[in-house]
Amino acid sequence: MKDTGKNIPSLRKKSFLSTAEPYLFLLPALVIFALFLYYPFLRTIFLSMFLTNKTGKPKIFVAFTGNDNYLTLFRDPSFWSSILVTFKFVIFVALGGLLIGLISSLLTERKYFGSGFAAAVYAMPIAIASAAASMSFKMILHPTNGLLNHLMGTQINFTGDSRYALGSVIGLTIWLTSGINFIFISAGLRNVPGELYDSASVDGAGYWRKVFSVTIPSISPTLFFQIIINIIGAFQSFSQIKLLTEGGPGDTTNVMVWSIYKDAFRNFRFGAAAARSVILFLIVLIITIIQFRFEKKGVNY
Amino acid sequence: MRIATLQRRRFQNLGRFILNIPLMLVILVPLLYTISISVMPPDEIYGNHLIPTSVKFTNYIQAFTNPYYNFPRMILNSFFVSTAVMLGQMVTCSLAAFAFSFLEFRGKKILFLSVLATMMVPGEVTIIANYLTMAQWGWLDTYRALAFPFLTSAMGIFLLRQYYLTFAKELYEAAKLDGCSNLRFLTSIVVPLSRPALGALGAYVFLNTWNQYMWPLLVTNSRNFRTVQIGISMLYDVDAVSLGLMMAGVVIVIVPSLSIFVFMNKQLINGLMAGAVKG
Repeated sequence: MKDTGKNIPSLRKKSFLSTAEPYLFLLPALVIFALFLYYPFLRTIFLSMFLTNKTGKPKIFVAFTGNDNYLTLFRDPSFWSSILVTFKFVIFVALGGLLIGLISSLLTERKYFGSGFAAAVYAMPIAIASAAASMSFKMILHPTNGLLNHLMGTQINFTGDSRYALGSVIGLTIWLTSGINFIFISAGLRNVPGELYDSASVDGAGYWRKVFSVTIPSISPTLFFQIIINIIGAFQSFSQIKLLTEGGPGDTTNVMVWSIYKDAFRNFRFGAAAARSVILFLIVLIITIIQFRFEKKGVNY
Repeated sequence: MRIATLQRRRFQNLGRFILNIPLMLVILVPLLYTISISVMPPDEIYGNHLIPTSVKFTNYIQAFTNPYYNFPRMILNSFFVSTAVMLGQMVTCSLAAFAFSFLEFRGKKILFLSVLATMMVPGEVTIIANYLTMAQWGWLDTYRALAFPFLTSAMGIFLLRQYYLTFAKELYEAAKLDGCSNLRFLTSIVVPLSRPALGALGAYVFLNTWNQYMWPLLVTNSRNFRTVQIGISMLYDVDAVSLGLMMAGVVIVIVPSLSIFVFMNKQLINGLMAGAVKG
């Protein structure tokens, strides 16, 4: 069949078209990826090897000279403080979001009057933009007219005081991320087989006993997955910092994405900003690899 | 006896609901407080009232009518860009997902992996280089800059592909036998059948684009091309007296997001769950 087809011109033409066709279907997506993902990704790595001028044009090649963007960063104590702040931020956000997600899903696990409404409330933050929530929190945390100071009878400048600034953006980010935590953990809870609870009840286990020895072990893969999502999401935080603290006071909320922004658009050091971007990419990559490793092993069944 | 247990259960349910109240307040208070401040007369904001004694809509009228803020234009910008990105992704992702699920061709596996690999790169990593590209092309302060980089996504391709893979292969083969072209099969059979998946993608992408902050902040400068998320913070920058105005801006911006959450809840959550499957 194939051989005869090759000898008939019209069929050959058709088969050429049909070999090209799949690529035409992929073309729009691949062009967008090429222009706005692959190319800028390579360009970021390229830029990180140069000192750049004010418009971001590479000026002097510095890679492997002992004075490149990376080594300059590693020698800069404020880079390390930025890494430290980022890790603190990420850990608190990841665990805080998980905890609220777990509590809210346990609270709405069973159906009762009002449980649907409560579930909708817990999921709601997924729809709220981080910028809008930041403005709302800016009002709540306002030093003289804000809700929080009013309730506590204080006049604390939450976003301007180095003791509270990081805590404030962590609190806001936990609020923002609580919705997705609720949704995923609730979905995990629904998949726990009912027989497990029944047999635990037969053994005379109380509510808390069941939570700790049936529920949490059963959903540990979900919890692990959710922690990874939280960590990767927290590493990408920007609007909260831009709108509430601008990385300050001092460097107390100088998380990585903010420091990339600051290097590029405040100091016009695009090469250094690119180096920071590459480091951010590597950190997220390592976390993703850890996730793959653990998922293969299976966390705990 | 039965009535007693019934009553006990009702009591338990009430107790369960009451347990929810503290956490519900934590989630709801920021929104309620924002609404409350947005309709409060200025002297009451400074008097630290929590609930306004009288409801005033002057802040909303200001936000919509004061030409200085140019807020209505920013709302339109956001709507326009979000709609364009949503429709663009529906088209490019449907096409690509179709090729990945129905067609056989050389390099399919590698191309699919290279699409999936894009999920490993956070947008913030490439944002500086993308900004420089936009500056070079003279695209700063254009709708193109706001929309083009987001006209496709690995998440969208993956979501639709998973859905298409559930279709029976016989359907495709029968259509081919009848002389139906691939494009026609996609537009007249696959797309109508995959409305749930397209709805999930659409709701998720529209909301995400509407909520974007960092990219629009970088590539726009003029008030004619700013999007709403940046617009609300500009209501604040004007002068410090405008706390109420700023909160009105937040409420205006949140209304479309919450509408999608309420009216397309199922689609949104499906899209979100597909989108979060990183790596």
